[in-house]
Amino acid sequence: MSQEIAVQVTDLSKNYGPVQALRGVDLSIATGEYFVLLGPSGGGKTTLLRLLGGFIRPSAGRILLHGIDVSEQPPNHRPTSMVFQSFALFPHMNVAQNIGYGLRLRKLPKVEIDERVTAMLDLVGLGDLANRMPHALSGGQQQRVQLGRSLVLETDILLLDEPLAALDAKLRKDMCLELKHLQEQVGITFVHVTHNQEEAMTVADNMAIIADGELVETGAARDLYENPRCRFTADFIGETNIFDGTVTGFNNGEVAVDLGFAALTVDDNGQCPNVGTEVSVSIRSELVQILRSGIAVAADQQTLTANYGEAVYLGLATSHVAALPNGQAVVARHVSTGLALDVIAPGSSVELAWPRSMMRLHLS
Amino acid sequence: MGDDYSSVWSYRLKWLYTLLVVFTLMLPVFYVIYVSFNQNGFGAAEYVFTLEWYGEIFSDLLLLGALGNTFILAGITLAVAVPMGLIAAKFYKATEAKLLTVSLLLSPLFVPADILGSALLVFFKNLNIACATIGEWLGVSWFDTWFELGYFSALVGLIIYTLPYIFVVILITMGRYNEQQTEAARSCGATAWQAFVQVEFPQIRAGVFSACAFAVILTFNEYTRTSLLKGGYDTITSVLISQMLNEGMSEQSYAMSSLISFIAIALIGSIILYTLVQSERLEREARAKAEPVMSG
Repeated sequence: MSQEIAVQVTDLSKNYGPVQALRGVDLSIATGEYFVLLGPSGGGKTTLLRLLGGFIRPSAGRILLHGIDVSEQPPNHRPTSMVFQSFALFPHMNVAQNIGYGLRLRKLPKVEIDERVTAMLDLVGLGDLANRMPHALSGGQQQRVQLGRSLVLETDILLLDEPLAALDAKLRKDMCLELKHLQEQVGITFVHVTHNQEEAMTVADNMAIIADGELVETGAARDLYENPRCRFTADFIGETNIFDGTVTGFNNGEVAVDLGFAALTVDDNGQCPNVGTEVSVSIRSELVQILRSGIAVAADQQTLTANYGEAVYLGLATSHVAALPNGQAVVARHVSTGLALDVIAPGSSVELAWPRSMMRLHLS
Repeated sequence: MGDDYSSVWSYRLKWLYTLLVVFTLMLPVFYVIYVSFNQNGFGAAEYVFTLEWYGEIFSDLLLLGALGNTFILAGITLAVAVPMGLIAAKFYKATEAKLLTVSLLLSPLFVPADILGSALLVFFKNLNIACATIGEWLGVSWFDTWFELGYFSALVGLIIYTLPYIFVVILITMGRYNEQQTEAARSCGATAWQAFVQVEFPQIRAGVFSACAFAVILTFNEYTRTSLLKGGYDTITSVLISQMLNEGMSEQSYAMSSLISFIAIALIGSIILYTLVQSERLEREARAKAEPVMSG
């Protein structure tokens, strides 16, 4: 993968009247990368994508695509093409005509158009549906046609706006992997917007978390999951227990945090908060163990005493919920083994334990 | 058709009632058609079937000239008002100030025809006086007649009258159009104009054609504004009405009226049929989208 920059966004903002949909975003995406913009609905990720595509004009800031400032260019003058959520196929054209539309605009010879459309139909797995009209296609097939219509143009950057959101869960999973493989095959830059973190994890090389119109954090998918810097990221990705507290001291790369009812010691992760700073500490739910009181634990484990609440069976995993002395619920999640484990009575006192090194400190 | 328990007779009665209302409304037209085939004309005691009057339509120069004028007016009204209505509908979909836009565009409907007509008449008369005065002042005369009553003033009246209808008819079909398709076309490399012509227009075509038909029919229909503003020219309605007010309609006029009715009924009928077929098709497509034929 070359490290040339495909997308460079500086201080990008978009206002709708008094509403700030996007505030001062700086972002760069490398060429040939599968990049995901992940965040809650209404957070501004689609606004960012539409700014990249040229469908809306930035209120401030600049957009460089392959080093060229396109901030003031309309969509048809940008090296991008876009896949929409749904209903974006031209209903009066059949599958082949939909895919060939952009090539006809370029006034390519008919023979070449036919060749490239046929090749694209095979690539997206619709070889035998060339003459179908869009309304006679399933949701997944419609999205494949959209993909084909964009990819056939061989633009440098493909923008995908919640491309799988209208599909059912099973199909979404299959299409996710297909998208990933397709991107590896064609090798161009994909920028994919989604609110679904599993989808994001499946496809992304790198991703950016966007919420409340701001870029929260960027990084590799695995890094964001395992080592989030921001409280929001920790909360948004995966199922995470977050404790709020105050810094009482630091020593040798470790920070002491007082939760009010207990104290934690957590790796400072390169951050140096002052004593008295309000911080949060997170631990992912699959790392939390629930032990009966009185069982000895290893020295590298952090323990807290809690009251056992209930077990929630979720199929693959079972979530155990326990309450801390301050009333906060902590979730421990484990793969359901199917073995009959001895049942803990609700209300009984338990020890929660997790590896100290897996806790993360968040200043913001 | 109501639920399974409702009486089939109440359904039939509703149909019967609807047909009765339509028949009553259309009765005068049927009578005109009936008279147009009578050798002895209106009010004669004896009815003798003939096609003679239809043959003579084309020898009545007054009627023929009026028909020509009406067609010219209808053609120009269509050519000017339909694009205006289309642009207005596009603007309506894009703007935030929807209530203001729709109130302004529909306001000509709320001004009575004779008031609008006479207001325009006064306006054009004053414009003429102004032109003549300025011309005299400058010592030139070439723009003295620019705003004299005639085609131009009649057209202004007709365009003001037809625009609200055209706007509404186009807007109804445009409402179903998904703007995302325009964006998809733009991202495929289309200019705004190409996206409109190649992607949006084919989908709103039915509305635009209905609007054209409306413009023509309304022009044929209009009397008050046109008769005030037409100057020395005659239109079909003005000829028919003046005949009626004076010596009674000629036999050829009955034939001409019937002919126009036939054409209008055929035109409206085919528009309704086309719209029904079209909406049936769209519904089928919507159902197909809601329940995909196969998965994968």
